[in-house]
Amino acid sequence: MPQEDKPRASPDALLAMAEREGKGRLRVFLGAAPGVGKTYAMLQAARAAQDSGLDVVVGIVETHGRRETEGMLEGLAVLPRRSIPYRGRLVPEFDLEGALARRPKLLLVDEYAHSNVPGSQHPKRWQDVEDLLDAGIDVWTTLNIQHVESLNEVVQRITGVRVRETVPDTAVQEADEVVMVDLPPDELLKRLAEGKVYVQDTAARAIERFFKPTNLTALRELALRRVAARVDSDLLEHMQSGAIEGPWAAGERILVCVGPDASAERVVREAKRLADLADAPWFAVTVERPGTQPNARDRALVDAALRLAESLGAETRALVGSDIVDEVLKVARFENVTQIVVSRARPSRLSRPFVRTLADALVREAGGISVHVLTFAEGDEAAPRRRTPPVGGLDGYVAASMAVAVAVLVGEGLTEYVALPNVSMIFLLAVLMPALFYGVWPAVFASLLSAAAYNYFFINPFYTFTIARPHEVLAFVIFLFIAVLISAVGGRAREQAKAAAQRVRAGRRLYEFTRKLSSLADTNDVAAGAASEIHAILARAAVVLVQRPNAQKGPDEELHLAAAWPPEDRLDTASLSAARWAYEKGEPAGARTGTLPSVPWLFVPLKSRQGIVGVIGLEAAGEPLDPEARVLLDTLADQTASALDRATLAGEMADVRSAAEAERVRNILLASISHDFRTPLSSILGASSSLIEYGGRLDPAQSRDLLAQIREEAEHLDGMVRNLLSMTRLEAGALDLRRDWVDVGEVVNQAVATARRRGATQRFTVELEPGLPLVQADQILLNQVLANVVGNAVRYAGPAAGINVAAARAGQGVEVSVTDTGPGVPAGLLEHVFEKFVRAASDGRGAGLADGGEGAGLGLAIAKGIVEAHGGSIRAESPVPGKGSGLRVIFSLPVGQMAEPETGA
Amino acid sequence: MNDPRILVVDDEPAIHRFLTPALSAAGYHVDRADDGAGALRAIATHPPDAVLLDLGLPDMDGKEVIARVRQFSRVPVIVLSARDREAEKIEALDLGADDFVNKPFGVGELMARIRAALRQRGGEQAQVEAVLRVGPLEIDRPRHRVTRDGEEIKLTPKEFDLLAYLARHPGKVLTHRQILGAVWGPAHVEDTQYLRVYVGQLRQRLEAEPAAPTLILTEPGIGYRMAE
Repeated sequence: MPQEDKPRASPDALLAMAEREGKGRLRVFLGAAPGVGKTYAMLQAARAAQDSGLDVVVGIVETHGRRETEGMLEGLAVLPRRSIPYRGRLVPEFDLEGALARRPKLLLVDEYAHSNVPGSQHPKRWQDVEDLLDAGIDVWTTLNIQHVESLNEVVQRITGVRVRETVPDTAVQEADEVVMVDLPPDELLKRLAEGKVYVQDTAARAIERFFKPTNLTALRELALRRVAARVDSDLLEHMQSGAIEGPWAAGERILVCVGPDASAERVVREAKRLADLADAPWFAVTVERPGTQPNARDRALVDAALRLAESLGAETRALVGSDIVDEVLKVARFENVTQIVVSRARPSRLSRPFVRTLADALVREAGGISVHVLTFAEGDEAAPRRRTPPVGGLDGYVAASMAVAVAVLVGEGLTEYVALPNVSMIFLLAVLMPALFYGVWPAVFASLLSAAAYNYFFINPFYTFTIARPHEVLAFVIFLFIAVLISAVGGRAREQAKAAAQRVRAGRRLYEFTRKLSSLADTNDVAAGAASEIHAILARAAVVLVQRPNAQKGPDEELHLAAAWPPEDRLDTASLSAARWAYEKGEPAGARTGTLPSVPWLFVPLKSRQGIVGVIGLEAAGEPLDPEARVLLDTLADQTASALDRATLAGEMADVRSAAEAERVRNILLASISHDFRTPLSSILGASSSLIEYGGRLDPAQSRDLLAQIREEAEHLDGMVRNLLSMTRLEAGALDLRRDWVDVGEVVNQAVATARRRGATQRFTVELEPGLPLVQADQILLNQVLANVVGNAVRYAGPAAGINVAAARAGQGVEVSVTDTGPGVPAGLLEHVFEKFVRAASDGRGAGLADGGEGAGLGLAIAKGIVEAHGGSIRAESPVPGKGSGLRVIFSLPVGQMAEPETGA
Repeated sequence: MNDPRILVVDDEPAIHRFLTPALSAAGYHVDRADDGAGALRAIATHPPDAVLLDLGLPDMDGKEVIARVRQFSRVPVIVLSARDREAEKIEALDLGADDFVNKPFGVGELMARIRAALRQRGGEQAQVEAVLRVGPLEIDRPRHRVTRDGEEIKLTPKEFDLLAYLARHPGKVLTHRQILGAVWGPAHVEDTQYLRVYVGQLRQRLEAEPAAPTLILTEPGIGYRMAE
């Protein structure tokens, strides 16, 4: 069988396995009811594990005073509890940080469904366990079946007792192993009678209702079924990851519509059950109409349902759109959903024949997608899905009244000339106007008012509300019908226009935001821009925390507050740890989330292609965020993340570029040092060793010549070292100008004298304008400039050339030029003469370039650096204007403040 | 044993290696110290006629050595320092050093400095002589007259003061501050531009070729030196 024909492992299954890698393993000891001996069984297994050499620590175990259980604890290491102050008491709780610091191989954490005391890191213990697993610690825990979120409802129906502490199904599904701790109901009841089962005092009344044999049997069955289902899915996963061919689960995908009604949570639970049955991924979706402000109660209902869905493993979406059915179906199609779950709202008895419910609309339009419509018993209140449009302000009604009044006046005027039925048209106009400008209700008001006015003023008998002739009754009814219809259509059009305008506004804001951020190149600027823009858009304080560049590992160093608006330079510890959590887990944290909800900020991770680059915090005190704003915040976070990403990349690229440039310079420097330094060094070595070996046989003139050569080459080396030093200082920006009054003429003369002393054979001419002002400059550096420029001419103009050095006043400064009659510089090279390491071909013939006579191609680059540090400028001309050959280097120096010297006494 | 004693203070053996024979050949007796403490001990126990002091010593700053020496001795101190460290040199000169030589240096230059330093010391009285001679110049202080090869040169009073001050210290470097303070007074020690202008004027009148001065020499960034 060819290789490619072998069934391939499902990527999802492999991914799930990969995700589990490096994480701790979770074992859940599942029981049907309290008292079946879960904790005992867990401790028993733990002792066995410890005996086999495993590092076992008891994180927290509640013995409830049972001696058998306490006995099992002996010999096991127990982690000290952490006392958390709560309402004036110290509550001993599981110490998550201590456990993470201790890092045992296996940790026992009793009561998976436990709710932590407020003030703990997470509200729920199962969240603690998640952190432990993430840290690579294996965890064993205990759980009763009634605490499983999706079974909560069922258990309540069976037992009549509502369990408040629940664990999301995902947290149970994550378990690598589930151990069923089973005890037949009779045994359990016997243990209960013997007082061996711990029951909270407060729940005493519930005992009788709970511990009934029928209940226990049902619960036991539920637990067993659950474990059996798990075994199935384990098997399936194993088959998938092992690429074992077999019957696959159908690719079902389920979407549940969540609306602001009391049944929302039940719909979600139902959807979860369906999803479990089909082993399908599922989505919970709510749709908000743009521009409408849902009241707090509705919002709380939707939020709670969405949170529940999330904890049950659903992917949640809050959408904004005016057509609910359309939006839902768009998402459904995009996500390849096969089943939609929706509750059937109960319209009022009156409107039942006319009003389409969401369920009806979905059933009609969801081609190819099954729709589950859930109905609820009579007692369940179910708010209508369609939101009534806002009633609107008083001005709408005033305008409506005025429109009708105008219609009456116009109508009165017209009846003189026109037949009656046409007058009703004028009233239709009077209805349309408020419909377009003020919405549905003012329009309906206008239509009723119009009908009354029409009747009163224009229907016989006039000036009464009675109608005499039957056909006029008909005309009146038709008029009323048309008027109401127009008002409805017109009102809808207006609402849609408003929504469109709002979308455009939101779009423009987003565009502005993106545009603003994209113009910023530095990470800190991007963070600051994002904070102030988000504050402007959402009208809440915003903070941006980003990764420290080159962060050393360690959570404390990685995140820092980069920007805040209004300005704020620190966050309290709790907020910071929420931010850090959001950053590390890539999930929202802080206010109104499952992690550190007491913090006054909502932190959203900034996810980019490079991973999570930071966190945005939005002030969450006061009104909760409406879904529209929440969606906007996510979008803004995305934009900020990519802007940060881009800024970081830009910075890195600049670094890489300058590193490459530094590398190039270093290489050239090394090459030139090895060449330019070796030449004088070999002369020195050669001359001196000749003197040592053959000194006696050389005549005095020869000896002196060799000695002179040694000295000259040493001076040459000294000059090169000087230039390299200057260049290094210029590059490092460490050139320290010691400005003083300098006589440029003196400097010029000195440079020429030095060149001559060093054996320059060229004809020098010096032209100094009489009365040259002194310039404020660093004399030593100025000497170096002239020495380098003159040295360049000496080196490349040829031994018989003429070199003219001139200094003259030019504008506010002094201009110095060095002109030679040598071959000059080719045009292509001229613009490069002031760059580092540009110089003559090494054969030394023809046009050569840019050197201070000391090799290494640094002379003119240093001259340029020094002149510019003085605020002057330097340029080169070749051929010299009017000459056809030669090179002229001109630099100018500003005078600085000129003080008149004191003369005479 | 009447040879002048020169103390060479440097931590580089290579410097001692070529200086010792060169100085001996020039007729000096050479003592050696490798650090600041050793130098101070040597100056206190065997007072030399001149000290060559490297500013970069392993145990203490060379400038501190100068300050301590000046507490008990007026021995001429010539500082050895890298060319690009003007500030350090000026500081050393202001602390009481007599002269400096840039590293790396030629022996000829060094010998000239040593000679000048020794002469300053031996001829302190000469400074107060009425008539000073520098090369072709003859400076008659009481009469405020300067002649060059016997020919009188007209100078303004400030030009004369400046020339007379420089001429009293032939071969020795004088910092801008020292000259300004002595000639214009302590209030003008920062007014370098006076100095530039007056030195330029003096050169125009005294030097045979003002563009290539041989009498008043510039020490870039530090000050001036009168030829010997």
